[in-house]
Amino acid sequence: MTVFKAFLKVLNKCKIPIIIYTVILVFFSAFNMQTSEKSVSFTASKPNILIVNKAKEEGITKSFINYLNKNSNVINIVGSEEKIDDALFYRDVSYVIYVPENFSQEIIAGKSPEIKVKTVGDYGASLANMMVERYLKIANVYSDVAESEEELVSLIDDTLATKVDVKITSKLDSNSIEKAAFYYNFLNYCILAGTIYVICLILSSFKEENIKKRTMVSSMSNKKYNTILLLSNGLFAFVLWIFYVVLSFILLGKIMNTMHGLFFIINSFIFTFCALTIAFLIANLVSNKNAVNGIVNVIALGSSFLCGSFVPTSMLPNFVLKIAHALPSYWYIKTNDLLKEVEVFNVETINPILTNMFIIICFSIIFIIITNMVSIKRKGKI
Amino acid sequence: MKNVIEVKNLTKKYKELKAVDNLSFEVKEGEILGLLGPNGSGKSTTINCLLSLLNFDGGDIKIFGKEMSPNAYDIKRKIGVVFQDVAVFEELSVYDNIDYFCGLYVTDKKTRKKYVEDAIKLVGLENFKKFYPKQLSGGLLRRLNIACGIAHKPKLIILDEPTVAVDPQSRNNILDGIKKLRKDGATIIYTTHYMEEVEILCDRVIILDKGSVIASGTNDELKKLSSTKEKIIVEVMDLDKNHIKEINTLKNVAQVTYKDNNLTIAYDKGKNNIVDLINYFKKEEITYNNIFVARPTLNDVFLELTGKELRD
Amino acid sequence: MFIHNFKYAFKTLFSNKMLIFWTFAFPIILGTFFNMAFSNIENSEKMKPVDIAIVNNHAFEFGLYKEPLEKLGSEKKEEKIFNIKYVDSKKDAKELLDKNKVSGYFIIIDDKPNVVVNKNGFDETIFKYVIEEIDSYIKITSNIGNKKIAENPNETGRVNTIYQYVYLDVTKKISEYKANIKDVSRGNLSYTMIEFYTLIAMACLYGGILGTVSINNVLANMSNNGKRVSVSPTSKAKLVLSSTLASYVVQLIGLLLLFLYTIFVLKVDYGNNLPHVILLSLAGSLAGLSLGIFVSCVFKTNENTKTGIIIAFTMLGCFLSGMMGITMKYIIDKNVPIINKINPASMITDGFYSLYYYGTSGRFFFNVVSLLIFSLILIGISVLSLRRRTYDSI
Repeated sequence: MTVFKAFLKVLNKCKIPIIIYTVILVFFSAFNMQTSEKSVSFTASKPNILIVNKAKEEGITKSFINYLNKNSNVINIVGSEEKIDDALFYRDVSYVIYVPENFSQEIIAGKSPEIKVKTVGDYGASLANMMVERYLKIANVYSDVAESEEELVSLIDDTLATKVDVKITSKLDSNSIEKAAFYYNFLNYCILAGTIYVICLILSSFKEENIKKRTMVSSMSNKKYNTILLLSNGLFAFVLWIFYVVLSFILLGKIMNTMHGLFFIINSFIFTFCALTIAFLIANLVSNKNAVNGIVNVIALGSSFLCGSFVPTSMLPNFVLKIAHALPSYWYIKTNDLLKEVEVFNVETINPILTNMFIIICFSIIFIIITNMVSIKRKGKI
Repeated sequence: MKNVIEVKNLTKKYKELKAVDNLSFEVKEGEILGLLGPNGSGKSTTINCLLSLLNFDGGDIKIFGKEMSPNAYDIKRKIGVVFQDVAVFEELSVYDNIDYFCGLYVTDKKTRKKYVEDAIKLVGLENFKKFYPKQLSGGLLRRLNIACGIAHKPKLIILDEPTVAVDPQSRNNILDGIKKLRKDGATIIYTTHYMEEVEILCDRVIILDKGSVIASGTNDELKKLSSTKEKIIVEVMDLDKNHIKEINTLKNVAQVTYKDNNLTIAYDKGKNNIVDLINYFKKEEITYNNIFVARPTLNDVFLELTGKELRD
Repeated sequence: MFIHNFKYAFKTLFSNKMLIFWTFAFPIILGTFFNMAFSNIENSEKMKPVDIAIVNNHAFEFGLYKEPLEKLGSEKKEEKIFNIKYVDSKKDAKELLDKNKVSGYFIIIDDKPNVVVNKNGFDETIFKYVIEEIDSYIKITSNIGNKKIAENPNETGRVNTIYQYVYLDVTKKISEYKANIKDVSRGNLSYTMIEFYTLIAMACLYGGILGTVSINNVLANMSNNGKRVSVSPTSKAKLVLSSTLASYVVQLIGLLLLFLYTIFVLKVDYGNNLPHVILLSLAGSLAGLSLGIFVSCVFKTNENTKTGIIIAFTMLGCFLSGMMGITMKYIIDKNVPIINKINPASMITDGFYSLYYYGTSGRFFFNVVSLLIFSLILIGISVLSLRRRTYDSI
């Protein structure tokens, strides 16, 4: 009990980093949660565009702008050209269209007006470009046959009104699962940094030369002492995990009560165990308290960046993913990503998930073995 | 002999607390002056005021006959200080540490090299030149701390408790070093709460308590202040109250205490006391083990003047 | 004396392993992580051919959709919109969709085109758009055909021929039409660069720790070494200046290494104006240095806490200027610009951004001047505290 009490006292001193990790987690999860509700029917993605209109908003020009308004999110930015450029750079806007003064006249005359655009070259920009081209093509075809601007507008509008039926097959609440996966992927950082930082600091406090000598000469058996210390640390990691799981229920809601949620929880539990073994290994290798901070940062940030905790794996370059195979975080995150795609849980879909979990457990066993080898080697010294 | 330091009516307050209270003293050229006092008696504060590190609320400080101030570089050049806390760079080796601090006083590289070597020899760190402070034991670190303070061969050396928590070997080395510095012509102020050191080392002692001088003079002069002239300590078992009463009535006895089988008798005159005591024991058939005879120490003086011990 | 203290201050800083780790190695390590994680983001946001399946039934084989779809699936790399898999039955198409091999499939049932997808998204939207576009050619044909027939009532017997003729004409016109769209965007649109700029900002401000440690060592009220130094016959101004200069030089060496690494290994683009990059770096490091001196002089606590203050300030500043998500900087700039106008990390980041995106501009110099003002204010306050030679308590 005394050892455990001392443990709690030392733990109390490490609370600030834990609070910081949690605040970051909540902040980013909340940031990621503002997307729309689940929808049953298909909704087309709308690119963010900006229209700078130099022509009179009537006739063809009006029809063009209406068309763009209907099929994209028009962002309103007031102010100088620099504001527009900033908006493009930070991807607030993917595509800027400058409608020229003589837009209507040129179209009616069957010519193709020069339209200046600014584009960032992403999906949204490509889509916006397709829309603009489509409008211009249709307008051009009709310009030969239409006798007046009104007729031209009505022909164009009539044509653009054609809609194809799109059916959505998946019954999956992909939006909520997406959010849950984001939360649990980000948790990779919090769990790793939290457990390694705290456990290394605690163990280095307990291993501090004079304290270690004192405990070695105390009446408590060394084995018992170490066991209590191990259990205390395990308990800490467990409590930390419970805390994050409870937090996920609060932030994510219903989705956590499904099979998907259950698998997210199991997966994070196994990973927490693995993080615990990593923490023990590092605590055994490093005794300098000052160095702990640096090492925690490098390991936690490294694993998180390379394995897709912060940036989705689909956006990581291949060579990075290959390196990431050597890290347990990769397999943890891979399971979370797999869960996003699973619709029905059966042998076929669960198998790869179980394999990933098994790999994380193998990692943990390897870490435990290395830790033991290191501590046996060190036993001779104090 | 000239006065190297003259302090007149120095007063320093920390908010309400008077750390130094109207303190006046002087230090003569070539002497080792001991500043003796318990923790919190104002020794370090006095020294920090002397060095213009602290501003004070009243009084005058003259060093080498001139007013001391933060810009009095010609005075500062002639002073060497060894502070209570070890002040060295963790990142520099023993040699570099001494060279750095010496270099703040001595610009000429050749002279400095010699000075640094001399300092290293003085404190006996010849074998540790390339070591870093972390690798040194407590005693060696203290020696390095001293070397850093005195390498530039100052005329006035101020040592603030240089021997706190030091092993006997290093302590002897340090004390020898200080004696040697004096022999080379330095004037030394030495603060401590170890009275043994003061007795060995100092020509003159100032005893401080609560920021003011309660006594000053040479060792012998101070000891004369004590009413106790001799002290006898005997290890005796089973002494009853009657015995103590009777011992109290023996000749010259001023005070008797009996604690943990140790009988301590203070005498106000010092002749034949021990014979009287032994005779008494024989008469009463009291068995005793050890007898020590002690001269009064500065601690006794301090005890008598303030009613408390020097060391906590 | 100046050189003597400089030399040792320099040596002390360089021998402090923790210090060198945080100011030299950490930014480089973090930069490497950034590079690995972000190097592909922008590519992944570019449009790639969408995988679709088409049910190759009778209606498709002889319908109007076949030709344009085949064309879109067989264009050269840049123009290619679809990777098409032809399947024989709806069942096969559905299986492909369930296994996420395709984003959706196309099937004509009862002469009506149908698009079936799994979820909402850009790929699916593009799929829908293209089908709608093909659909609209048919609509155009019927519109123009109807008009032609109405104009020539005596030709009613040849309706089909007219439609066929019009259809050919419309598709020809459309495929020949070249929209006159002129891209006038600025180059240098790579937003992940911001990450590296915040990294430089972090390195600049972390450099302040060097200043703190170095100044601490010569201040009597802050350290034991400082007490010792203060009783020597060396002027405080000289000591503080030479220690400051030493930490500035160490800081600049670290920054230079970081620049070399990010330019040559990570291929970070700082724009083409080297003198301006240097100017901004010098100003940025000066801001870090003055932060360090300020914390060192004004806060009377131990060195670890002082370092903590600088790290916390730096991380908050970098967070607001987009290190943990580039959008953050934009949100702040757009909604509460004042925060980033007084945030040195943002001044540095925005300085590099404007240099990269706009070239030399008023905005760049505004940032440089802001950094100088920030530094001057902090140094000014520090000097007020440094002018004290004796202390009330130490």
